[in-house]
Amino acid sequence: MARYTLQRFIYMLITLFIIATATFFLMKLLPGSPLQNQEKLSPEQQQIILEKYGLNDPVPVQYIRYLGNLAKGDLGVSFQYDNRPVTQLISDRIGPSAQLGFQALVFGTIVGILLGVIAAVRHNTAIDYTATILAVLGISIPSFVFGGLLQYYIGVKLKLLPVAFWEGFEYTIMPTLALSVFVIASIARFMRTEMLEVLGSDYILTARAKGISGFGVIFKHGLRNAMIPIITILGPMAVNLMTGTLVIEQIFAVPGLGEQFVRSINLNDYPVIMGTTIFYSALFILVIFIVDLLYGLIDPRIRLAGGKK
Amino acid sequence: MMTEKQLSPELFELATERQGDMEKINRPSLTFFQDAWIRLRKNKGAVFGLVMIIVITLMAIFAPIFSDHTYKEQNLKHAKLPPRIPVLENIDWLPFNGKDMNGINVYEKRGVKEYYWFGTDDLGRDLWTRTWYGARISLYIGVLAAAIDLLIGIAYGGISGFYGGRVDNVMQRIIEVLVGIPNLIVVILFILVFEPGIISITVAMVITGWVTMARIVRGQILKLKNMEYVLAARTLGASDSRIIAKHLLPNVVGPIIITTMFTIPSAIFTEAFLSFIGLGIRPPQASLGSLVNDGYKSIQTFPHLMMIPAFVISLLILSFNLLADGLRDALDPKMRK
Repeated sequence: MARYTLQRFIYMLITLFIIATATFFLMKLLPGSPLQNQEKLSPEQQQIILEKYGLNDPVPVQYIRYLGNLAKGDLGVSFQYDNRPVTQLISDRIGPSAQLGFQALVFGTIVGILLGVIAAVRHNTAIDYTATILAVLGISIPSFVFGGLLQYYIGVKLKLLPVAFWEGFEYTIMPTLALSVFVIASIARFMRTEMLEVLGSDYILTARAKGISGFGVIFKHGLRNAMIPIITILGPMAVNLMTGTLVIEQIFAVPGLGEQFVRSINLNDYPVIMGTTIFYSALFILVIFIVDLLYGLIDPRIRLAGGKK
Repeated sequence: MMTEKQLSPELFELATERQGDMEKINRPSLTFFQDAWIRLRKNKGAVFGLVMIIVITLMAIFAPIFSDHTYKEQNLKHAKLPPRIPVLENIDWLPFNGKDMNGINVYEKRGVKEYYWFGTDDLGRDLWTRTWYGARISLYIGVLAAAIDLLIGIAYGGISGFYGGRVDNVMQRIIEVLVGIPNLIVVILFILVFEPGIISITVAMVITGWVTMARIVRGQILKLKNMEYVLAARTLGASDSRIIAKHLLPNVVGPIIITTMFTIPSAIFTEAFLSFIGLGIRPPQASLGSLVNDGYKSIQTFPHLMMIPAFVISLLILSFNLLADGLRDALDPKMRK
């Protein structure tokens, strides 16, 4: 296990390094500079600004300095927000995004498991078909479409919930719902398949034969075993939630990390784009790392083979 | 000579036809794809998906051609008209009666004689033409990305799986690093550097997209390459490339088709997503995603601008998912009853 963990850890570092390097050189290819009103500045002023950002040094020197700063957790300073450090910008904005992601994950998992279990228990009935259709719809309808529909019907037409902004719990309901649709749908599909398989196995029959109530069999014996493989969809789920927050925050005007990222893209604020990119990547890679370790813990074949899968 | 004498003709009798029947194969011999097709047809969802994909594709090809308008033609006098379709306009509850939010028939009020089936946007562009034109771009990007993924994935996965050993080891390490890189980040960075366009968006998606296909092909090839028929072909002197192309790949076709069918909708989704963060197709061109995004800006007053393209893109992704689900079941030989 130690060897496996170490191996995964090294992969994690290599991947992060490649992302950081690629980000740096791609940003060097980009047109534009921090000089906003270039024509208004005298050559001396331009020089001072370039010097301040260290843009006069040769690219390799800049690259080494960038890697060094990165190792210290310094992501540079923003062009658009008066030189505020990018790390601070990220930590200021992470709150709403994390809250949305967390709420969507919890809500989506609970509803998804219930839906999946009910569909499996009532296999081949109208309830099963309805749940299956709902799940396919949930996977197919993009979150931005669902968000738009919610906003229009619940926010604009029925005026039940605030259309946008971020001023209290009721403001989080619609974005959370829009974000959780995919979670609900993918967990429900997965649970249904797993549950059907588990419910068909011998130990369930044994439990039933011993006279355990239907409810107890389903939740104690069935659900527990069906839930183990669910970690396989944790990775894709994390990516999807991340993608989701980028768009959903945009639609519902949530002051989160995603909204700031999109604005930076439109304003060419390269340090913020780079910093956020690396932050997102690191988060994603960490999730993958944890999922890999969980795999190793659960499936001894992976552990023994030294991660050859 | 002795045995010949012992076997006199009386010992023999003519074989009846019935005896010949015993060896006969009663079940019609079906190729793999005939078999899969029979199973696919029984799956209502998959058939629905297939039909909708064909319909949307045909509309995407022909609707802009036969339309009176082009996707970029502007007519400010006809701006912001709600949808109006002949015949359907007489059915009250359908949103195709040319009435706006306040129930006023804008066409009569402004004296517009033409019928805009899906209405017009704020520049007076015909949404019917733009929606199908957008569907064309979305489909094009989806199919192109999937096709390139397919080529690279098959080549990479095939070589890696077939040769094994050190080659495989090195190729797999590369893949393992690539898998760790979030797709989205690569796409965003790539498009920031190379202006958004059909090609740059497609290439951006392919950079990390082919990995899934390569992994699936490799896994299958690893399983198949030790089969007896491969050994037989090798004994007969078949070259490596012949074994890969003629013996291995045809047997991997099922998983390849399924993966491709799942790649197309996800590419369509990614493209739409890019429009939302300001990195999508640039106007006056349009994709379904950019139309939905534009429609958002006036969702409170002109909901049709968002609803119609949103409906088409959802239907398109749904159809591909249904078909892919159906294919996954149909192409599994174990399902043959």
